[in-house]
Amino acid sequence: MTLTDLWVSFPLIVLVGGTLVLMIGVSIVRTHKLALGLTLLTLILSVAAHDIALENITTGYELFGLLNVSGIQVFFNVLFLLGAIVTALFAYPYFNERMERCEEFYILLLTATAGAMVVAAATHFASFILGLEILSISLYAMIAYPRESHQPLEAAAKYLVLSAVASSAILMGVALVYAASGTMAFAELNISPESGERSYFLLGQALICVGIAFKLSLVPFHMWTPDVYQGAPAVVTGYVATVSKGAVIALLINYVQATEVLSYTGVFYAVVFVAVASMIVGNLLALLQTNLKRLLAYSSIAHLGYLLIAVLVVNTARPELVLETVLLYVAAYFIITLAAFGIVNLTSEHATEDNEQMEAYTGLFWRNPLLASVLTAVALALAGIPLTVGFIAKFYVFAAGVEGTAWALVWALLIGSAIGVFYYLRLIYTMVKQVEPGAAALPQVGTQSVVAVTVLGLLIVVLGVYPTPMIDMIRTIVQASGF
Amino acid sequence: MPPTEHVLVLALMLFCIGAVGVLVRRNIIFILLSLEFMMNACALVFVAAGAKWGQPDGQIMYMLILAIAASEVAVALGIVIQMARRFRTLDVDAASELRE
Repeated sequence: MTLTDLWVSFPLIVLVGGTLVLMIGVSIVRTHKLALGLTLLTLILSVAAHDIALENITTGYELFGLLNVSGIQVFFNVLFLLGAIVTALFAYPYFNERMERCEEFYILLLTATAGAMVVAAATHFASFILGLEILSISLYAMIAYPRESHQPLEAAAKYLVLSAVASSAILMGVALVYAASGTMAFAELNISPESGERSYFLLGQALICVGIAFKLSLVPFHMWTPDVYQGAPAVVTGYVATVSKGAVIALLINYVQATEVLSYTGVFYAVVFVAVASMIVGNLLALLQTNLKRLLAYSSIAHLGYLLIAVLVVNTARPELVLETVLLYVAAYFIITLAAFGIVNLTSEHATEDNEQMEAYTGLFWRNPLLASVLTAVALALAGIPLTVGFIAKFYVFAAGVEGTAWALVWALLIGSAIGVFYYLRLIYTMVKQVEPGAAALPQVGTQSVVAVTVLGLLIVVLGVYPTPMIDMIRTIVQASGF
Repeated sequence: MPPTEHVLVLALMLFCIGAVGVLVRRNIIFILLSLEFMMNACALVFVAAGAKWGQPDGQIMYMLILAIAASEVAVALGIVIQMARRFRTLDVDAASELRE
């Protein structure tokens, strides 16, 4: 291990070190404020440490043959860390109201983030599997964290079983690929068409794809999503929807660029089917929902379908456009989704159960104009209406699809978006309706995380109106990474 | 040493038994047991593949899988205990409040 290795892995070291400090700290003094402070300090230091890491990498830096850190990975890592910071800020008032002891939540948050960072940078199956399991196992405990209530437990049990099945599918796929090709590094995975082992090489690749589709909750592997989104506390749902999916997307784009998995016709058309099905089915099922968390679950299924378009044109469009699209879309999706679950979390801060039925938001405009405005921005951004960051992201996906001449996918994007507008506008309509006299009052919201939600809401609009700085930054990152 | 293909067939059979178990069984303990089946089938393929290529990687992955399976079960059993306490049953169908 050289000194450069050390500097490049410094953000991860800081994060894991902070986790250990927090673990020991919590066992000595149980103070919720202190736990939050240490968590935020660790996360911010880890963000700062990326600056040191960036100084030591040129286009990309191979770490121990397991991880590859380039500007793109740094972008994803900073996104995960910022997502974790927002989650920690939302978690404080949420758990402070509800539970006696909740300091361990922050340890799980930090380990999950460390897992996500490893997954995003993985270039070898061993680091991929290790990172994925660190992430998933932390998530099981985070989902079941309000252990007094039934719904989080049920959600955790469902997520645990299905996620473990997906992990086993990935493991079996990796094992078969290794048996056929003799290597587990992404860049060396290749097999000649005449080889007798090609059959189980392809079976392995198919199993890996199934596992990844499970983790990304793509149709037809989406069954767990609505239940887990509904049952988990809103803070954790926001985290599952953003960081854990962002990590797998980062891995997926790495994987399809390093290997030729999408040049096998069978795999390619299977993924096209999954993408189209996610866009259409996700949006159609979202139409039927009366529960905001379930609606967001189906909408996230559709959104990952859109994002898959950019992954699918990896062989036909310019690689820099593909990467720009993925980075931009993930960043936009993070902002919008965190804002959405932040609002669900805020409006249910003092309720025993999450305030998630759509009726609870009736007339929100007249009761709490600030939250209603942010939720409107979220709905418009999810629908991809211009002047929001959601439009810019969708436009990029559209451009990538057109450049990659993936017409079927572009049509599915258009049809899916058209269906989507309907239920997003219905949400806005609900908020504008007059409150019936005698309706249950909305819980009073605390001021602590209102600021975070407002900032996210402003970002949605500001980056939608004036996206140039963000696009320039992403373009610089992609070019600096050698594309 | 048996040919790799034989081990692969055995492992795939174990994997399918585990998968069917997860789908068919309603008791959460048996579901976890079936998951263990699936994980260990993967570990078996890794050992066979490592032997085939003459590399230590297969066995290192085996150790990794052992560690992963152990930590997964630790968290899973914690959830099972909470479920048994709250729902008074280990039947997963009893825990189905999450519907639209």
